[in-house]
Amino acid sequence: MISVEGLTKYYGPHRAIHDVSFQVEKGEIVAFLGPNAAGKSTTMRILTGFLPASSGSVNIAGFDVYSQSVEARRHIGYVPETPSLYPDMRVRQYLSFCGKLYGLSSSQIRESCDRVVDLCGLAERSDYIIGRLSMGYRQRVCLGQALLHEPDVLILDEPTLGLDPNQIVQVRELIRSLAGDHTVMLSTHILPEAQAVCERVIIINHGEIVAEDTPEALTAQLRQAQTVFIRVQDSNAEISRQLRDIPGVLAIEPVKDDKGAYYVSTEVGSDLRTRIAKFIVDHGWGLLELGSRELSLEDVFRHLTTEEKGVA
Amino acid sequence: MRNTFTIAARELSHYFVSPLAYVAIFFFVFISGFIFTLAITTGQAQADMGPLFHSMVFVSLMLAPVLTMGLIAQETDSGSIEMLMTKPVTDTEVAVGKFLGAVAVYVMILVVTLEFPIMLSIWGNPDWGLIAAGYIGLLATGIAFIAVGTFASSITNNQIAAWLTGTAILLFFWLVGWLSYSSTSWITDVAGRLSIYENFGDFTRGIVDGKNVLFFLSMTGVFLFMSVRALENRRTL
Repeated sequence: MISVEGLTKYYGPHRAIHDVSFQVEKGEIVAFLGPNAAGKSTTMRILTGFLPASSGSVNIAGFDVYSQSVEARRHIGYVPETPSLYPDMRVRQYLSFCGKLYGLSSSQIRESCDRVVDLCGLAERSDYIIGRLSMGYRQRVCLGQALLHEPDVLILDEPTLGLDPNQIVQVRELIRSLAGDHTVMLSTHILPEAQAVCERVIIINHGEIVAEDTPEALTAQLRQAQTVFIRVQDSNAEISRQLRDIPGVLAIEPVKDDKGAYYVSTEVGSDLRTRIAKFIVDHGWGLLELGSRELSLEDVFRHLTTEEKGVA
Repeated sequence: MRNTFTIAARELSHYFVSPLAYVAIFFFVFISGFIFTLAITTGQAQADMGPLFHSMVFVSLMLAPVLTMGLIAQETDSGSIEMLMTKPVTDTEVAVGKFLGAVAVYVMILVVTLEFPIMLSIWGNPDWGLIAAGYIGLLATGIAFIAVGTFASSITNNQIAAWLTGTAILLFFWLVGWLSYSSTSWITDVAGRLSIYENFGDFTRGIVDGKNVLFFLSMTGVFLFMSVRALENRRTL
């Protein structure tokens, strides 16, 4: 349903994305996961035909988004990162404006408006002026306009950004309920969101795809390793080599720009902190700090990128 | 085509929910009314719209960039252009739709100013042929001015910059006519043909000449075409 081949985009000399390729099958929900500025929005905008790619091609529902742009867009419902609606219009008025642009007939517009107003929980706000709505409701209107024409492909750029926890749960449920009839591609920088909603996750970092798998497989990879942070006084090359001799230690990585500090990856379920401490003290390296480290999204990316490279 | 009218209708309703349309109508009618009053109460006090048309066309020149400055610049600035351009609409439909929305407001303003000839006909005996020609001229020039303003709005995301650009282009086409008085070479001819003032002049004398109409139509076409290209170009930036 979505087919992306070798997509590259330059903003002037800056390369936003590089050689991004992936496929999304009909009825799938796929998350595009990455930290801020990883190239998620750029990719989404190219998918919708809003931005042209510097090279590469995108095919949506059988139409090339560049050469058959209008046809392709008929099959896309798009929620941009910031919902910029017309603040002077009323909710229903805006939805019917969008319906007309999608080419729906006036009876179809009435039915579709009723449907999305219900679906997105806008019933009480359907006569409000959009400018007076809260961020959460604007996001719903934005989602509503994307669903009006029952598109084959839904492209949602950070659909839960700026929502409160209750609304986030509602929106996620809504997105899950759309699977099957619609093909959904959503971007997010929140790992649990991708886990909660999607069947498949594509991870992008610095404009390149670094991993592509089911959320279960990715979390399994994550759980495999725990990280211990150590800082020693007497830093030398021996440390990395010798620490590896401790059973259960997977990898040692010096912290960038911080002499004497290391991340030690250990196997899951084995708390090696006392053993590492004893080892360092025995060798007389001068242990300054030691602690276990929560895995942040950044670590996930580091782990994933290094492991993927290891595989290749 | 349907999309064009959908966008034009949305633009028109946008004018009337903001104070802009009301301020524009007030501004235009107040200034032309002031000049109209002066014209019929001083001097020869004739039931003649000719001099008034000259003033009205200049007021349109000042007003058109104000009406159009937000058409595209505002949407680019707020980001709503992304919502609009990802719908199955073409760049031409967007540019022409927005242009037509502004033209509709301008036509409404002209309709309000019909009070002047109506008043003249109550107390005098005006030349209806001349009035009709004058209004055709005002319509043709106004449409061209709005096309220029649409173009100015399409090349920036700053409304003030769009207004200044539009005004500058229009003033150039107004003032270029002065060259035809000062110079004697081929410039005289070219300058005269490019001048808004010269091309509008015949209408105020009751003459609807094809070459004048063609001038304003071409101006409209050229600037609308450039607006569409600017919209396309924005995507490639």
